Amino acid sequence: MFKKLRWLRKIRISCAIFVIYTIFSNCSCDKPSVKPGFKIVSISPAMTEILFAVGAGNDIVGVTTFCNYPEEAKGIYKIGDFSNPSIERIVGLKPDLVIVNLPEQMRIKKQLEKLGITIFVSSPKSLNDIYKEIADIGRIVKKERVADSLIHYMKMNIEPSEHKRKKSVYIELSPRPLVTIGAHSFLNEMLEMAGGKNIFSDLNKDYPVVSQEEVIKRNPEIIILLHPGNITDRLAWKKIAAIKKDKVYTNLNQDHILRPGPRLVEGFKELQRIIRE
Amino acid sequence: MNKFVPVILIFLLAIFVSIMVGPAQLTSEIIQLRLSRVILGIFAGGILAFCGGVLQGLFGNPLVEPYTLGSASGAALGGSIGILLFGTISPLFAFFGSLGIGFFVFTVARIEGGLLRDRLILAGVVMSFLCSSLVMIIMVMGGRELYEILYLLMGYLGIIINAENRLFIILMIVLSVVLMLFLYRYHRELDIISQGLETAAGLGIDIQKFSVIIFLITSLLIGLTVSLVGAIGFVGLVIPHISKLLFGPKHLYNLPASFILGATFLLLADTVSRIITVYELPVGVVTSLIGVPFFIYLYRK
Repeated sequence: MFKKLRWLRKIRISCAIFVIYTIFSNCSCDKPSVKPGFKIVSISPAMTEILFAVGAGNDIVGVTTFCNYPEEAKGIYKIGDFSNPSIERIVGLKPDLVIVNLPEQMRIKKQLEKLGITIFVSSPKSLNDIYKEIADIGRIVKKERVADSLIHYMKMNIEPSEHKRKKSVYIELSPRPLVTIGAHSFLNEMLEMAGGKNIFSDLNKDYPVVSQEEVIKRNPEIIILLHPGNITDRLAWKKIAAIKKDKVYTNLNQDHILRPGPRLVEGFKELQRIIRE
Repeated sequence: MNKFVPVILIFLLAIFVSIMVGPAQLTSEIIQLRLSRVILGIFAGGILAFCGGVLQGLFGNPLVEPYTLGSASGAALGGSIGILLFGTISPLFAFFGSLGIGFFVFTVARIEGGLLRDRLILAGVVMSFLCSSLVMIIMVMGGRELYEILYLLMGYLGIIINAENRLFIILMIVLSVVLMLFLYRYHRELDIISQGLETAAGLGIDIQKFSVIIFLITSLLIGLTVSLVGAIGFVGLVIPHISKLLFGPKHLYNLPASFILGATFLLLADTVSRIITVYELPVGVVTSLIGVPFFIYLYRK
């Protein structure tokens, strides 16, 4: 008799816990933010995009001049540009949280720390880092569920594709000096997943400076230029496989590829299309 | 005179080494690439050292060089402005930067009926400082241009040669050869001036006019060089001293020697900058790194 009752009570309690949990978790999801007036300054264009994507765009009170997406971000107060944010403008906004990028914003991070302002550091070196940062910021702005579904969406869309043979790719960020991507860049990882092989993936840096000779020696099958410019008329470049076969791509949207945010999905699809062609 | 033989042999050896040594297998493309680099190296190293020699002789001051007279810094400033405005280096900007600063230094030092030579150097140094701060501002304002400005400030021979700049480079080289020959014609006057101003004036040399001409032409040459390969330091200051140690004070000998030694030195520095890492180092880093110990050794002897 007693045993039966206990068993019933257990079910009832767990049912109650489940109901309460669902109600509360739903509640927190519908709330606009952590507390009314939670103010965020984002010195990271990628993080600005992520905040908007998880539904915390209204919490942002300051961004950089580089934050050009989504459209609403353009109207937010500017605290300077990516490499030179103004500390006074940031402090003037009395933010509850400032998002900084490392290593570029080391100086500003130290200054903010001295002033006792809470900081979120963004420094993704891989796709997993990006997912982790999205989850972390989602937790901070109490948008865990949206953040989780964003991560899920990105993971579903950015996944390794089956290729018999990986094509060698050279990505050029700047022509003078030649700057490319090395192993420590999420772009390197994305390229591999899209079925390519970065010719400089052996360099343990994120954005190394390389020589023309090395590019010619490594003879890429595909060249992607992320700057306006022409390379087909370069002295001694004509015999590179990519140039011989006319596989030089110039019209990619840089922000889809270089900005570690939600739009990497689009960048990844562009890379896949290029490599499949 | 027979000291020239070993110097030229070393020079030829440096050319050979620059073409043979490098990360890639020798193919016709790679040879083409290295040859263009060698030509730029000879041109830049030679001009910098040559101008340094001329200026040191003219001002009788061992510290004078393209940097202390503001030309190199002016060219770097002009180049940086070009990078900021157009996103890539435009040689014309560097060229006019050098001329502009040169002209400014020149106006500061000009007095009624002449030119104050000491004031010229002072004005040059002061303007160099001004240019550096302006370049800093541009570097602070720029985002991804930072790398490019950095390589412009430190000098870099591995520039890409394409249809756009090929003709420009050839014209630059021809023009600078002409200008250098023009300067070289005055080697006797330089000899006399470096002996002392009174002697020179006594022998009927119009020192003021002469200084002006030499100063403007060297500014022009430095502008040409920086616009192509950036502001390579050290060569213009130290090579003329080495050249004088080896060939004596006569400009007839030490100016061509400066050219050859400057070219040799820059070629070797560039070869080192190419092979020590997979990454490309700015050649200006290497020139000072290997040049300073060598210079101290030579001077202590």
